[in-house]
Formats: sequence, C-alpha cells, structure tokens
Amino acid sequence: MKSTLALIRTTAGTSPVATALGLAVLAGLFLFPSFVKSPYTLHIMILFFLSTIQGEAWNIIGGYTGQYSIGHVAYFGAGAYTTMILMQYKQIPPWYGMLAGIGVALVVSLIIGSICFRLQGPYFVLASIAVAEIMRLSAINLKDITNGAEGILITEIPVFKIGNTVVTDFLSKVPFYYVGLVITLVTILVTWMVQNSKLGYYFQAIREDQDAAHSLGISLPLYKNIALALSAVFTSLSGSFYAIYIGYIDPSTVLNLDISVQIVLVCIIGGIGTIWGPVIGAMVLVPLSEALRSDLIAGMIFKTGLTSEGSAIGTFLKENLAHAHALIYGILVVVVILFMPDGVLGWVKKLTVQKGRG
Amino acid sequence: MMVLLQSLISGILIGGVYALIGIGMTIIFGVMRVINFAHGDILMVGMYLTYTLFSSLGIDPFVSIVITIPLMFLFGAFLQKVFINRMLGAHPQNQILLTIGLGLIMSNTMMLIFTSDYKIISTSYSSESFNVAGISISSPLAISFLITAAITLLLYWFLLKTNTGQAIRATAQDREAAQLMGINVRWMSILAFGIGSALAGTAGALISPTYYIFPQIGGIFTLKAFIITVLGGMGSIIGATLGGIIIGVAESVSAVYISSGWKDVVVFVLFLLVLLFKPAGLMGKSRM
Repeated sequence: MKSTLALIRTTAGTSPVATALGLAVLAGLFLFPSFVKSPYTLHIMILFFLSTIQGEAWNIIGGYTGQYSIGHVAYFGAGAYTTMILMQYKQIPPWYGMLAGIGVALVVSLIIGSICFRLQGPYFVLASIAVAEIMRLSAINLKDITNGAEGILITEIPVFKIGNTVVTDFLSKVPFYYVGLVITLVTILVTWMVQNSKLGYYFQAIREDQDAAHSLGISLPLYKNIALALSAVFTSLSGSFYAIYIGYIDPSTVLNLDISVQIVLVCIIGGIGTIWGPVIGAMVLVPLSEALRSDLIAGMIFKTGLTSEGSAIGTFLKENLAHAHALIYGILVVVVILFMPDGVLGWVKKLTVQKGRG
Repeated sequence: MMVLLQSLISGILIGGVYALIGIGMTIIFGVMRVINFAHGDILMVGMYLTYTLFSSLGIDPFVSIVITIPLMFLFGAFLQKVFINRMLGAHPQNQILLTIGLGLIMSNTMMLIFTSDYKIISTSYSSESFNVAGISISSPLAISFLITAAITLLLYWFLLKTNTGQAIRATAQDREAAQLMGINVRWMSILAFGIGSALAGTAGALISPTYYIFPQIGGIFTLKAFIITVLGGMGSIIGATLGGIIIGVAESVSAVYISSGWKDVVVFVLFLLVLLFKPAGLMGKSRM
C-alpha cells in the first residue's frame, strides 16, 4: 500500500519540467505521420498502440485489482468478431460495430465475473481461460455466423463521413495511426482516473488485502466486476480496432490463448499496477517481436561474425528465429518473474533509490 | 442403447488416462499449492520422447514407458529444483505466470526441434479393435487403460502404505506441521513434482498411438487437468481419479449425441457449472 501511495503522490504532483516534456511527446506523437512517411514505421507504431491499449486495460483488473485474467483474449475476440460480423453480413459501419463489440464484451465479462468473483483463489484464472476457450471453439463451430476456421475477410471499409464531408477514406495507414493514438490516450487517461479516484482506491484495497477491504464495507464481487467490465471495454476496443486495421480475422488469430499471455506479458515486463508500465512493456515487446519476425536479429548475428549465413547454424537461425518469438516470450516471462517481479519500472525505481542512498 | 453403452465404455477408457493427468496435477497442487500451468506441456514432452524412442530405436510406445517414467521424473525434479522452488512462498499469480512461461519454453523448443508438423506413431495395433458382446473396443485404448489402472493402484499403495508416501501426504495436509515432525519438506516437494511430471509424461506416452503429436497439444491437456482437479476437489487423489473418468465419459457421450466439434465446449461448460454450484469439488473436504 505504501508504494502505491508514493506513486500516486509522484504522479499527482508532477514538476513543470515533466509536464513540458509530456506535452512535447504528445505533440510529437500527433505530428509524427507528417514527418515519417514509411508505412512500415507507421505499422509498428499502430502495433505499439494496440499493445499499449491491451496492457493498460488488463492492468485495471490485473494490476490495480489484483485479479489475474489469463483469458483476456475473450474480450479481444468479442470486439473483433462483433465488428467484423456486423460489417460483413449487415453492412453496419465499424464505428457502430465497435460499440456493439463493447456491449458483447461487457456481457461476457459479467458472466465470468458473476461466476468467479463469489469464490476466492485461483478459480478466476481458470474460469477466464475456460470462457476464452468456449468462445474459440464456438467461433470454429458456428460456421453460419463466424465462417468457422476460414475466418472473415473484409476488402473495403466504408468511408467515414460527418454530414456530407468525407473525413477519411482509410486508404493509407495515417487515419489508423490517429485512431490508435486517440484510443491509447483515452485508455491511459481512464487508467489515470481509476488510479486517482475512490473507485481506484477500492480496487487497490482489494488487491492489497481482500479481507480487510471486505471488513471495511467494500463489496468484493461488485468492485471486482466493475474492474473487469472496465478492462473488458478497452480490450474489446483494441480487438475491434485490430480487426478493422488488419481486415482479416479467424479463431486462431483473434481467439488464440497466446494473445492472453502476450497481454499479461506487456504488463509484467513494464511493471504491474502502474500507469506507464504497459507503455514501457509495449515499447520493449513490439520491436522485439518485429525484429525476430523480420530476420533483423539473424542479420545482426551474421554481422558480428559469430556464425556465417551459409553455415548449418546460420541456416537454422535464419529459418527458425522468425518462429521463435513465442520461445523468447516464454524465457522473458520466466526471467522477469524470477528476477524482476516489479518489471522494468520497479527495477529502475529500485536502482534510483539505491543511487540516492549511496 | 448400444450406442450409449459404446460411448460410455470408450469414455471410461480414455477417462483412465485423464485420471492419470489429473492425479499428477493434484499431487503437485496438494504438496506445494502451486497450480502447474505447464502440466499439459510436460505431457507433450512425454509424447515427443515416446515418438523419438519409437522412430529412432523402434521401441513400442507401451514398452517405452519404462524409459519415459524415470526420465520424466528427473525432468520434473529438475523443474522444481531450479524454477518452482524459488517461487514457493511467492504470490500465487506469479507462480501461475512462471509455469505458463515454462510451458511456452517447452512447446516452442519442441517446435524448433520437431517443427510444428503433426507426427503420428503408427503401430500394427493403432487402429485395431476387438468385440465384446457386440461392443467394439479400441485395442490401444484398452491397453493404455490397463496400464493406467496398474499405475494408479501402485500409486495408491505408495501413498498409503510406504513411509515416503505418508510423508508426502502429511506435507500436503500441513506443510509446517510436517516440517516440525522432521519430514524433509523440500525433498517431498521435489518428489511430488517429479511424480506429477512422470504421471503426465506417462499419460503422454499412453495416448501417443491414438493422438496426433504436435507442439501446441499441451494447452488443451493443461485445461483438462484443471477441470479434473477442480471437479474432484483440488488436492484430492480419489477426486482426480473420479474426475478423470467423468470428464472422459462426458466427452465421448457428447461427441456422439451432440457433435465432436462441441465436445470440448461441453467439458468447459461442465467446469463452469461446477464452479457455480460446487466449487469445492466432489471430494473437496478430505484432502488425499
């Protein structure tokens, strides 16, 4: 509790320098697409936004309330599928589909919450996975609605108009960049509001000591459900955004349990229960997985001369590093949990405290 | 009626193997209070071990358990000593993340070694079956059920009658009290994780003649292992045995009467219903 209080104090009483720096970063982010034209760089930024949104959303239930969900892909998939199904079969523009997706994710979160939050212990973790798997198997089997394992592909996104003026036609990556940026900022703002509100104090009290919180009159099932619902809303938004951006979804990409692990990983690498933890986690993870995927790391190993491209090890590395990102995730989880359980942020804080003392 | 009987019997046969997986997980949970999210991946390692022994040395999968059991025991003991042991007092959620990470490492290492192609072990009896009173029974399933039953009986004897077995049960009942009575709790933890892994690995070996072998198969078995242990009551070995059989029967009956695509959904819904109405499980009160 002490550490969270200290954190609240540091974020509430920011210095003018920090404020100026924050505004500069914000302005930089908004002007970014006018300087950087490379679609690949924009793509990486959009992936970074997606990852941050998911991490911040998970943080509300996992980090602040202390209820680890390893089934967050359920809400991600709910958003993605609802938006795509409505667009594909009913020609409903994705902006309304996003709202419908939030509704579906809320219903799913209430089902999970009402079953699990009466119980203490590991049941929530288990049930969250079970519900995510039920959704994945349903998406495979309900072929009439979801198109089964083949998935849904959209080729055209309706033009976004206000009145009669066309705002954007979504032909380049730039509009997606701005949508992602705005959702990310809203998510961070909501997390900040949660952290500094009475609601957030309830969440954190539940995390620190359930029994004590309960004895002070905080209804455990109610506030856990609220935290989960909030978290589900933003995870679902990220799912809808992903689906519209990529234009293709199937059960193995948007309802795969690996995504749940990835979402948790973003948080634990950066620092659980902090506002900037997921941002840092996404900054580490997104470039890392992209570098693995695009042979960048294999190329770097060849450059150092450790092994040549033609040798047996070289070909093995080149062929397999692209598939190794899940292995790296696994190693990262184990290393972070064993050696830096408070993530990068906690580790940096510890270093600065030690320096200040010495 | 015949169809029902048929699906009941095949459900019980596969349920025996599920019981083995569940018992492994419940022993680990009982002794260490750690939920092993890598359980299915340990089973997957057992499958690949069996596959390697079969394809390179030509050892029959059912014979190979003589090698698989000790190797998987050592593997589990290693995992406990190097990783799990450091986290025994930690937040349960961090323990879960640790085992998830270990599982990811196992499945992806296997993918790098064996690629993600489906492997099969085709023995002369893989698709054989025999008839008993008009009901056809798959030979590999029947053999694996007999081996499972023998291992389960041996395990019950070990836990109930031997000193070490009683020490393990004592540690599961009350870790501190057991320590005060002079039981080496650390050693019991290593033993428990070793036994749990050996059981999962054996289950992997026993099902390898009838299942596809691929690196990601572990996930579904981890989930089934949980459902079995929660259904039986976490930490209860008798519960896990019963839970395994129930899940096996539920699966095979729903595969026949609903559809094979939905059979896993039926199992998950069953799990949610148990959480809703009887979260302590069938044998929830008495531990082991």
